[in-house]
Amino acid sequence: MSAEEDLARATGLLRAHTDSSWAGVREALLQRAAAAFRPSAPVRGRHALGDFFVAADVVVAQLRAAVDAVPAATAVRIVCTTGEADVLEQVVVELSVRFGESLQEVAATVREAVGARLGDLLGPLSPGVAAVRADLHVTDVDLP
Amino acid sequence: MRARGPGLAAPEAEVDDDVLVRRAVMGDRGAFAAIVERHGPALHRYARRLLHDDGATEDCVQETFLAAWRALPRFRGDAALRTWLFTLARHQAYAQHRTAAGNRTRPQLRAVDPVDLVDTVDPRSDPADVSEEGQLLDDLDAALRLLPERQRSAWILREVEELSYSEIGAVLDVTPTAVRGLLERARASLVTTLAAWR
Repeated sequence: MSAEEDLARATGLLRAHTDSSWAGVREALLQRAAAAFRPSAPVRGRHALGDFFVAADVVVAQLRAAVDAVPAATAVRIVCTTGEADVLEQVVVELSVRFGESLQEVAATVREAVGARLGDLLGPLSPGVAAVRADLHVTDVDLP
Repeated sequence: MRARGPGLAAPEAEVDDDVLVRRAVMGDRGAFAAIVERHGPALHRYARRLLHDDGATEDCVQETFLAAWRALPRFRGDAALRTWLFTLARHQAYAQHRTAAGNRTRPQLRAVDPVDLVDTVDPRSDPADVSEEGQLLDDLDAALRLLPERQRSAWILREVEELSYSEIGAVLDVTPTAVRGLLERARASLVTTLAAWR
């Protein structure tokens, strides 16, 4: 076998190779990333004692949980937009919806769920259901 | 409501990088974990061949991904995520090298003298314990260590990680024409080295 052939074969082997130490690195890395601090945008809320702030990460996580509780729908992406004084103005929820479901019904259910969760989180400063946009991706399509 | 269909079911393993990035920017650690799963093995493979030291490689890969996690909100998407990660990893490898400069077991970014590889290149002392493929990989690793860092990086990023010339240029901060030259010299050196060893 020529050196060129050796190199080509070794290259293919390296391309398919995963260093044995990667598994340990991966575990440690995910643990460190989970604990790593990264500033999150504030979202203003209000209750009887005054205003408070909730991290955008927390808002998104709460909304994701609310959406995922809706049958046949899964949150693919949730984007919050804040305006002046960090007041939440809009929420866009990208949804993956099982093929065959009524899109309008699923979207309406999701909007209600998101609106309710926003009310719980932010109080009177919740933008309400009208500010929630649902973008649907239909999945698991089975054409005849 | 806006409907898009037919779409694709989107478990994170099948989601595009740009979608994972947008989700990670919003603080979605699951999306970030998917990025780690997708690109971690390649970054580790690259860093390991820059540093040739398990501890330094682990530090390099961890710091690369942590830097990415912190910097994701500022990632503009001008380059592919993968290119950006390799760029961060290379910078981090140099940082590791500088940090370890005073240690006896310093990671090695520069090409080494072949004489220094005598011990590390000798996994064949007991042929029964080492497969032919393992020998070939060891020989390639040793041959790569003889290359100057930029040639080594260019070759790995092109031949192993299959980046384009312009992507490699972005990682190495050189022109695609310069990448072509680095690759030609790297290939010639590798063939010559392997021919002498095998």
